[in-house]
Amino acid sequence: MNIHEYQAKKIFKQFGINVPKGLIAYTPLEAKEVAEKVSEFGPWVVKAQIQSSSRDAGRFSDKRAGKKGGIRLSKSLDEVFDNADDMLENLLVTNQTGAKGRLVSRVYVEEFIKTTKKFYLSLVIDWTVASTVLLVAPISDKDDENIIQIASDNPERILKVNLGLQKKINSEQLQQIISFMNMPVEVSILKSFLNKMLNLFYTCDVTLLEINPIGIAKNGNIWALDAKIVFDENALYRHPEIPPLFDDSEIEERELIASKFGFQYRELESGMGIIVNGDGLALSTINQAKQIGLDTACFLNLKGGVDRDKIAAGIKLIMTNPGVDGIFINILGGFSRCDLIADGIITVANDLGLNIPLVARFEGTNKDEATAILQKSGLPLAIASNTEKGLLLLKNAIAEDI
Amino acid sequence: MSILVDKNTKILVQGITGAQASFHVQRALKYGSKIVAGVAPNKNDKTYLGLPLFGSVNEAAEKTGATASIVFVPAKYAKSAIIEAIHAHLSLVVVITSGIPVRDMMEIREELSKSSTILVGPNTPGIITPQEAYMGIFPSDFHQKGKIGIISRSSTLTYEVVLEINQLGFGESTIVGLGDDLILGSNFIEMIKLFNSDTDTDAVILIGGIGGNYELEIADYYSAIDFKKPIFALIQDDFSLLSQNVGLASDIMCRGISSSEDKRKILEKAGICVVDTISSLKEKLAELC
Repeated sequence: MNIHEYQAKKIFKQFGINVPKGLIAYTPLEAKEVAEKVSEFGPWVVKAQIQSSSRDAGRFSDKRAGKKGGIRLSKSLDEVFDNADDMLENLLVTNQTGAKGRLVSRVYVEEFIKTTKKFYLSLVIDWTVASTVLLVAPISDKDDENIIQIASDNPERILKVNLGLQKKINSEQLQQIISFMNMPVEVSILKSFLNKMLNLFYTCDVTLLEINPIGIAKNGNIWALDAKIVFDENALYRHPEIPPLFDDSEIEERELIASKFGFQYRELESGMGIIVNGDGLALSTINQAKQIGLDTACFLNLKGGVDRDKIAAGIKLIMTNPGVDGIFINILGGFSRCDLIADGIITVANDLGLNIPLVARFEGTNKDEATAILQKSGLPLAIASNTEKGLLLLKNAIAEDI
Repeated sequence: MSILVDKNTKILVQGITGAQASFHVQRALKYGSKIVAGVAPNKNDKTYLGLPLFGSVNEAAEKTGATASIVFVPAKYAKSAIIEAIHAHLSLVVVITSGIPVRDMMEIREELSKSSTILVGPNTPGIITPQEAYMGIFPSDFHQKGKIGIISRSSTLTYEVVLEINQLGFGESTIVGLGDDLILGSNFIEMIKLFNSDTDTDAVILIGGIGGNYELEIADYYSAIDFKKPIFALIQDDFSLLSQNVGLASDIMCRGISSSEDKRKILEKAGICVVDTISSLKEKLAELC
């Protein structure tokens, strides 16, 4: 669960973390207006608000925006207007958005803070050791935002400090960070900055708090020039104030509906639609299909869902996807109930009709009941005993269908 | 022999009165699991599904001699239930519950590190020793007794692997579902150690999952030990399909090793046989015969 930079910065501010002054704008004219409020003389930074890293290195798909990225220094109010005009209603493509890119519906106009040195700074969870880790790395203007490259080429340039469950940084760790940063930062300023980050990290059940970068000004002040917060989905019940911040517009409609039912839906290329009940199974089914020349348009992971109506609504997402030329249902295991899934198929098929080939494979809890339900339905579908046979059946059925 | 669970393991169930728990407890009893008690607050002195109910894990363990627990308690309350089981010095706790907050799991891991309890899960189908007993939610009809140990981070894929290798005539000594979550109670290495000293296990299959360095840890461990059984690791492609990264930190944490291709190379270097599909796993296993 992610939020936009400007929202993250608002939360930063609530926790006392130093952020540049900034305001959000939805039109170029608005951008110019808010710029005046943000700073009298400028310069300003206009930042496209999409949920992705490396926005600066990204490119807009509409050529009118030129070859510059989604974060632009603007020296005059007219430049603010032009840059906002370039970005708004345009698609920004970064290495995290996919080739299609994401629509920029708002820009954040910020005062430009002159800093002498920049660092990548984040709090992240090392899943394997169940510990909070602080990451610090110097960022030169040359390899700005390219921290991943540093991680694989020069891992020694990134400092990792293991914090366990610590809610405050200790003096030893502080010393370690300061000597690594190798520049005159005032201890008390850094300490308070890091402790505020940790406070936010713990208080709001955050799993990633990333500032790429922080800037250090001549007077020693530390600024969060960027802000990224990822919340723990499973802990949102403890933070009712957070879900209203989520921007659904960046999520595909079907994905959004699926996630509301507790399922996962993803669109890939074109071909068949897959309904499974696990991540690993989704991947292995897609890979196995690829081997016999079957492409996958989308998949739905019902996870351990056992609610009859939700399952039916989920199946509907696949059945009503116009790009799908066949459906493969592959259900395995203990928690999912095959009979409920069979019921869901019938409900949707009776409702909408079944005009494309459907093959189901059930293995696990109540699979015989599920098979009986489907066979009794009289619907034009096939039942397979394993994944391989199921995929072959579907492949032939699709070929005949065309 | 087997690891962790057999027909003599005395098991209690936390959160037994929930609908899913009841359903699966009845099936497990039929299979042969020695479930001896249920724990449900405020329901002391009652019975459920023919089992005595106790108000606390401590009391249930004391009165019935149970040494292991299955946790079905809903995510919001799972932390205190699991910590209660750890504090009661149970030797094994299997957590079926999914959706436990990350911070709660971190605190659980902290408690775990101070104890000798083995925690398996959360978000796992559990542990099964075929034809003896299981702790969890396994469908009861498709595991066969045999000599292959399985450790998995992907529940559904485990079933698929079991079905396929059983067709080749193999069977399983014990199957351990580590869980599909990012923070796990136990890792591959702890289970490899147990399988390594289990006389009934000839080879081990690992099924990889998404996120974390759990698979990479194995390489360091496996190349450092002398006595070892053959390991086959199923590591799939395209995990990026399933994750929606926004930050960069998770990539940095993986030592810059983000592709499954890199993961495979590191494991292969340590002497582990790595495959990317179930059909190639079957081919490699066939060579073992």
